[in-house]
Amino acid sequence: MRAHRWFTPWLLVLPALVWLAVFNLWPSLNTVVLSFTNAKPLGGGTFVGTANFERLLTDDQLADALLNSIVYMLVCLPLLTVVPLLLAVLVEKRLPGITFFRTSFYSPVIASAVVVALIWNWLLEDRGAVNGLAQQLGLVSGPVPFLTDRWLLIFSAIGLTVWKGLGYYMVIYLSALGNVSRELHEAAAVDGAGPVRRFLSVTVPGVRNTMLLVSVLITVSALRVFSELYVLTNGTGGPGGRDMSVVMLIQMYSRGFTGHLGYASALSILLFVVTLGPMLLLLRLNRKGADA
Amino acid sequence: MRTLLARSAVLAATAAVLAGCGLGGGGTSGGEVKATGEVKGEVSLQTWALKPKFTDYVQGVIDAFQQKYPGTTVKWLDQPGDGYADKVLSQAASGELPDVVNLPPDMALPLAKQQMLLDIAANDDKLRTDYVKGGVSAYEFAGRPGAYAYPWYLNTDVNYWNADLLTQHGLDPKKLPTSVDDLIAQARVMKERSGGQMYLMSRKPELGDLANAGVKLLSDDGKKFTFNTPEAAAVLDKYRAAFAEGLMPRDVLTDKYLGNSELFKKQQVAWTTGGGNTINSIKVDNPTLATKIVPSAAFGTPPLYVQGLSVSQKSKNLPTALALARFVTSPENQAAFAKLVPGIFPSTTASASDPAFSQSDGTNAGDAKVLAFQALAKAELLQPPVVSEAMGDYIKQQISLAINGEISSKEALDRAVAKCDELLKS
Repeated sequence: MRAHRWFTPWLLVLPALVWLAVFNLWPSLNTVVLSFTNAKPLGGGTFVGTANFERLLTDDQLADALLNSIVYMLVCLPLLTVVPLLLAVLVEKRLPGITFFRTSFYSPVIASAVVVALIWNWLLEDRGAVNGLAQQLGLVSGPVPFLTDRWLLIFSAIGLTVWKGLGYYMVIYLSALGNVSRELHEAAAVDGAGPVRRFLSVTVPGVRNTMLLVSVLITVSALRVFSELYVLTNGTGGPGGRDMSVVMLIQMYSRGFTGHLGYASALSILLFVVTLGPMLLLLRLNRKGADA
Repeated sequence: MRTLLARSAVLAATAAVLAGCGLGGGGTSGGEVKATGEVKGEVSLQTWALKPKFTDYVQGVIDAFQQKYPGTTVKWLDQPGDGYADKVLSQAASGELPDVVNLPPDMALPLAKQQMLLDIAANDDKLRTDYVKGGVSAYEFAGRPGAYAYPWYLNTDVNYWNADLLTQHGLDPKKLPTSVDDLIAQARVMKERSGGQMYLMSRKPELGDLANAGVKLLSDDGKKFTFNTPEAAAVLDKYRAAFAEGLMPRDVLTDKYLGNSELFKKQQVAWTTGGGNTINSIKVDNPTLATKIVPSAAFGTPPLYVQGLSVSQKSKNLPTALALARFVTSPENQAAFAKLVPGIFPSTTASASDPAFSQSDGTNAGDAKVLAFQALAKAELLQPPVVSEAMGDYIKQQISLAINGEISSKEALDRAVAKCDELLKS
């Protein structure tokens, strides 16, 4: 048998390394570089030091966008971590017709985010189905401003994200539930534990790592929310632009012939840092929980 | 040691990226370029979404050009409607801008600033006499002498009213509003008579409305915005009061109804604005509505919408490119194109008295076409091309806050001017 050469492993990982370098490392480094320039799509840009980062501190839109992104994350995180787990527990049982429910819960996932948001738009607008029904039933006297009130708009978008994400995370939990020991459930039942107690003491610890994974995925996607808010606000960012997310702000500054690539890059770096914080916190909490 | 190596690698990579980016450069230089020489050889012509509907027309113009100038070949590129700006941007960034390219003023401005477009005024003495003033001035940019395209085809807005809805709610289609004040007064009548079920107005003001009220938007040198005046605030205050009075749907805050055209088609508002061919377009979607529409002239100064043909300054065949741009936008070719495409009008002075555009056939669609054609004589580019997408978004957002009563009109305008000035400088 021939001896392995030292570079054989490197050759095997080379395609992946090239991919990472071209599509991850290079753009990331380029973003860092651009954030210190006043680059435009048609100009090389000149070095402006920390001017773009100083501008972040005085940007009135950024404060709103950060607040929106954080509220989005804080509401989505518990809802999308817990509700899909409950759904997964419900549809895990092998009952007649359960496939229908599994499919129903999953179907929003395969629909395009933009199409779903457009449908929600039609439902929630002033003359939409929800307002029409509520007014006909006499529940409200005038239309509820779901899409023209700053906070109602954010919560409408959160509702859309949660509705669309339930099925996806439910499937992840379904695969994790398969690994939870059936004997533990039976032992707990023999000890007199009811369904709630078994859920909290057997199921939840059994899917703890999956819950962490789901939490991290939700945190990242909630902080980077774009499609839902973009479509529901018709691209305007809501009344006065106060419903923009940080990604919408990046898009606003980077597009077009005169896009401000330097400032958009500084915003991207800020978003990266903001996303990193909660992720590290979640990982730390998980480690503490595992050690305990 | 490993940490040190890793840090060195990151520093080296950063240095490489910095070097690759060419920081510190970006300036442009160069004087006036003259496109003199023989008209021959190959040039490219880029149009915007004309295939397949107008393939025969464009190919006919190209064939006629090649026949007039033997030895020339025109390579025609037609780009799809969506993503045109991105396509032109990537062409410009990679130095592959076609020799002759269709550009609206807002796309031409950044390219002209980067000295990528030929100054047509410096190369064609007849530009200012053969083409209408508004069309040429749309391609003249503050702080940059010259004109950077042949105006191609033009359009403007006309007011359209649903006569049935006006009559049903106590208004007279023969006494249509002729100003914003009239409009608000009639919107009030419509709201009262319809019990708040029908709107006359369904759009919030834009930068163009300020220009229309005589507000100067940009300083002469193009370096500062100037629209935060008491007069501009007074315009916003009118709309703000109308919104508070419930004369507009709340959705105007998020531009929900594409101005107001969608609700007009659904007969949920009685007024909209549109180009000279709007009634014919509505006929396709809602034939019964089309017969009820009464057109009238736009309030104040009508907006000018213009498309032009620019010549890439980096073209390897400037004389032929210039000749092609001039040929495609000639009075004969423009008139033929405008007769083929309802709703657009030629930008040449020779077409000013063409009865095809200046005489109505007696229908409401014919009247609208004539109103639009007449309006072009005083139409102006109401929003300066220097207003970037980010600036436009921010201005709309501030106006929305003012209309919603969250901040005063003056504060909204002050904020918008401050942000636009900052973006203009950066």
